[in-house]
Amino acid sequence: MSPLDYLLVALRVAFGAFVPLCFVAVLVWMERRGAAFFQDRAGPNRCNIFGFRAAGLIQNLSDAVKLVFKEDIVPGHIPHKFYFILAPVLVFVTALISFSVIPFADTLVLGENSYVMQAIPLDIGILWFLACAGFSVYGIILAGWSSHNKYGILGGLRAAAQVISYEIPMGLALVSLLVVYGTVNLNEIARFQGQLLFGMIPAWGVILQPLGVILFIVAAFAETNRTPFDLAEGESEIVAGYHVEYSSMKFALFFMGEYVAMFVSSAIIITLFFGGYQIPWLATETLVAYAKPVALVLLVLLPVANYFFTGWIRRNNTSHYYRPNDPRVREANIYIRCFWILTGIVEIILLGLLLADTAPETIRIFVALLQMATFLLKTVAMCFVYVWVRWTLPRFRYDQLQKLGWQTMLPLSLVNIFVTSAVVVALS
Amino acid sequence: MMSAKIKTIERQGVSYDQRLFLIEVFKGMRVTFGHFFRNLLDNSKLYVRHYPEVKPEITPRWRGRHRLTTHEDGTVKCVACFMCQTNCPSHCISITAGERNDGRSEKLPVRFDIDLLECIYCGYCVEACPMDAIRMDTGIFSVVTADRQSVVMGLDKLLATPGAFTEEDYKKRGL
Repeated sequence: MSPLDYLLVALRVAFGAFVPLCFVAVLVWMERRGAAFFQDRAGPNRCNIFGFRAAGLIQNLSDAVKLVFKEDIVPGHIPHKFYFILAPVLVFVTALISFSVIPFADTLVLGENSYVMQAIPLDIGILWFLACAGFSVYGIILAGWSSHNKYGILGGLRAAAQVISYEIPMGLALVSLLVVYGTVNLNEIARFQGQLLFGMIPAWGVILQPLGVILFIVAAFAETNRTPFDLAEGESEIVAGYHVEYSSMKFALFFMGEYVAMFVSSAIIITLFFGGYQIPWLATETLVAYAKPVALVLLVLLPVANYFFTGWIRRNNTSHYYRPNDPRVREANIYIRCFWILTGIVEIILLGLLLADTAPETIRIFVALLQMATFLLKTVAMCFVYVWVRWTLPRFRYDQLQKLGWQTMLPLSLVNIFVTSAVVVALS
Repeated sequence: MMSAKIKTIERQGVSYDQRLFLIEVFKGMRVTFGHFFRNLLDNSKLYVRHYPEVKPEITPRWRGRHRLTTHEDGTVKCVACFMCQTNCPSHCISITAGERNDGRSEKLPVRFDIDLLECIYCGYCVEACPMDAIRMDTGIFSVVTADRQSVVMGLDKLLATPGAFTEEDYKKRGL
């Protein structure tokens, strides 16, 4: 292996490991500010470092500091302390490693070598995700059981029952999807979605499998224990469910595990149904062929987008009450300057790409970066849907949840398999 | 014959499109997204008061921290009749009476302690007072300290706290 191979392995693993972790902070922020805006509140907007509030992101820092320095309690009544400590680790690690098979860009071809842009270049793809997602519920059950607490046990039981009933529609929705794609490899699935239907519509899973999308998204919500299926931690009924006995960093691991799981399942929904890293109408080879025009379009669009974005910052980053020499205006000016500098740097890079005589490798790397950005953008949009649903829908009652799973989603997913198979057989 | 007014409540969640959930879910999501988008575009439209900087408006009816009133010459109105202490449901008032020599009455409070940690701000002391000596019209709603001792309001603190409203407004509060 050449040094380049090692470098790319390191980069891929770093992407697979650190992107979900970094996005925990972004998602917690998105959840809190989003929740506030959905409910006409302001959300965290006071926490600052030297007056810089970063739109509330600093709040995450102080939360983290709080959680790290809180007393880490292992209650005395717990007989199995090892399992008690293992449970949050299990939840977090399974959530994190399930991201490792998701392709965040198309296979990078540098000269004669090609590099699969996944943290772990596995062919089993979606099966790995199913295995990890199924395993993460063991952490929740283990936490509920080892807490030796009524509420904990109830939360764990609910999580177990829920995951069992929703794993089936999820798996069946996937079966019909795999009938369409004919592969379990996520990179091939994403590449399939770069095609065009009738030469004009992107062949995304959402168009090929409209029912499958709904079934899979609902099941994914249940799988990540998010509202409206978060009755494993229904705070109005069973306090906090499975993590009622946890404090400090052990609680934080559950918390982060939930957000990593949300990020990963968003990524998997994107990869399966919304084209993954594909930019609509621009498949990888098209993108490579037209890299310079795309760069030119970006070169023009970026300052325009930044103009509107900075305008939005200037309008909103002010105090809405009388305040002499409003420090938030000063803060906004600095943000705006930072964003313009950032835009300037990207512009210079794009200009270099346009003017210089570029090697095909450079074009490939540029395309890969574009696809990564697309992938992250789509994933964050999907995460926003998670937040959006959370602050819209109330929690399902336990019997309603089971009824929906077994009596509605299971028959629907079976019907979906039959219809899909019939269509695929008829067309081939 | 009395005719009862009957209002038939339409039962929700029965029709097929409602049991399908999805349509109703999307309707709900449209409503919440409307709020989100409006607030995102212009966050001055949030329905919040930016509290520590912008204080809420306190009306004369509001029961805030207590104070003891005085006559025009500065002598305390309280005659240590123990009405407020007897009435207090949370036993937060403790009075020690002493002899009064200024000719207004026979007694006056030597000590008058209100433990604000015990107080439930019910206002019974104000209603019980025959002399209009204790009032809760200071408009102070936030009592924050680092220790338990400093929330026990003594006689001097109760006398030193001014009322937040004019005598006229206080009388009009309609109790």
